[in-house]
Amino acid sequence: MTYIAIIITFVLIENFILTQFLGLCPFIGVSRNIDSAVGMGFAVIFVMSMASLTTWAVYNLILLPLGIAYLQTITFILVIATLVQFVEMIIQKTSPPLYKALGIYLPLITTNCAVMGIALIAVRKEFNAFESFVAGFAAGVGFLLAILVMASLREKLDSEWVPKPFKGIPIAFVTAGLMALAFMAFDKALLKNLIG
Amino acid sequence: MLKEFTKGIIKENPIFIILLGLCPALAVSTQVVNALGMGAGVIFVLLGSNIFVSLLKDFIPKKIRIPAYIVIIASFVTIVDLVMQAYAPALSRNLGVFVQLIVVNCIILGRAEAFANKNNLSRSILDALGMGIGFTLGLLLISLIREVLGAGTITLLPIGNFNGVIRIPGLYSAPVRVIALATGALLVMGYLKALFNWFEQRKKREIGVEGSSS
Amino acid sequence: MKSIFISGGKLFLICAVAALTLGIINAITEPLIAERKVLELNKALNSLTGELQAAEGVTVEEESVVKAYYPVLRAGKVDSFILELSGSGYSGDMKILSRYKLNGEIISVKLMDNLETPGLGKKAENPEYMKKFIGAGSSNPVPALKSMLEQSEAEAITGATITFTGIARALDEGSRFITGGRLVEGME
Repeated sequence: MTYIAIIITFVLIENFILTQFLGLCPFIGVSRNIDSAVGMGFAVIFVMSMASLTTWAVYNLILLPLGIAYLQTITFILVIATLVQFVEMIIQKTSPPLYKALGIYLPLITTNCAVMGIALIAVRKEFNAFESFVAGFAAGVGFLLAILVMASLREKLDSEWVPKPFKGIPIAFVTAGLMALAFMAFDKALLKNLIG
Repeated sequence: MLKEFTKGIIKENPIFIILLGLCPALAVSTQVVNALGMGAGVIFVLLGSNIFVSLLKDFIPKKIRIPAYIVIIASFVTIVDLVMQAYAPALSRNLGVFVQLIVVNCIILGRAEAFANKNNLSRSILDALGMGIGFTLGLLLISLIREVLGAGTITLLPIGNFNGVIRIPGLYSAPVRVIALATGALLVMGYLKALFNWFEQRKKREIGVEGSSS
Repeated sequence: MKSIFISGGKLFLICAVAALTLGIINAITEPLIAERKVLELNKALNSLTGELQAAEGVTVEEESVVKAYYPVLRAGKVDSFILELSGSGYSGDMKILSRYKLNGEIISVKLMDNLETPGLGKKAENPEYMKKFIGAGSSNPVPALKSMLEQSEAEAITGATITFTGIARALDEGSRFITGGRLVEGME
């Protein structure tokens, strides 16, 4: 896949949240206001790009040559956990308010399907190192896009009337569902029309 | 004791109440058989993880408990992945990355951290079973709705000559396709959660009324 | 300090036990998985060749669509070729097996691994679906546009055009591969 194709695919066509359902927990949990959504989004972009690059290295330079590809799951998740610890420390030092705002959701990036997901998908698609990095970055941007739109919508929803059973989580899901419907416009046909 | 088992099914149902494990719930629920397979995998990993975390709770130092739990969980996930590839390749292909993604299923790490490292073996086993079955039931509910309305079929395991697909007359020729797609998953989830909320709110109101009249 | 060593040591022990266990499981399942793949492939090849036998497959390196080819022998001579093609579907790559005459004409097609939408693109797994491609590839071009199909066929693929064009393009590539002289012809 060309780099443009990778970017368009992971940001729009196979958007991690609205098409693949990877990264829903933080998506629902951190999208209540725009500021924390943006902070979360950027943290995720950073973690995902670094993660996909690092796991590419682990898989292709260590696991495959040694014939222990079946240890993929364990090694990947440990690499990601370490990376997230690292990012947590950085955020704590550079921006304590952001650290407080993200709260529990920061360490939860470790158990985030999105990060592990992009690592596994990049391996399955047999991307090279740079392609993996671009894919991770693009997927993160897709996440940011989705969570940003979601946060803006939810901020508006807070001042609207919502039927009682739907208040909070359910209406968030319904909103996400409608967003997913809109994103259906971004499909393979678009890619073919744009790139051929 | 029995309560440890039943709480996972309704009261603290992982999908609808605690809202964990959403990613596979939505991604995999296009066919009933996928739900069954995923549920089985999660139950196995939950059991393995809860058992070992409970057994080793005094052996694992507090500082390194999260990486230790991760290694244990990831090992069981790898076992499920390899066994599924060998003995149920069609299911493995349908579930794709989501088999390996069981390792990041918040339910499993959540139960290890919140329950298994503080409780004895038998309670941890019951907890794992309850949560796992609760997860599977929740997943089955979503999958049934999505497959019946979205494709007009119910896909089960192929046995002998039966290829596993039950077609529902009427719906099969004119299904509500959008429900089987991404949008449908989110909408169905939203409406189901609203339904659960409605039940809870009604219960609270009834208790409130009874409380004030007694 | 001592506690760090103990903690580290315990963690290392857990990792070692885990790695060992997985190594054993892998040793048991790996041959099974490989065996299954071979069985599945043979089953698929046989469904296309009927009473004939497919010979050893040859992997194709530099092509993006044609992944491998299997000569089909009749009485010792090459009668046709089965190509393993990789098509670009709606939700990812599709694995297609197609049997071609030596002049590039399509004899039969089978859609294998795919992630197409159930009820839409997935219908291509039905043998009926492939009827529109049989006979094309040589003097008849492979239909790659909805306009090249008959009315009923065109209606049947509504909502699943990407799957259709993906399969069609892959099959067309296959035809070109056969007629392009890339195959080892000296199999008399």
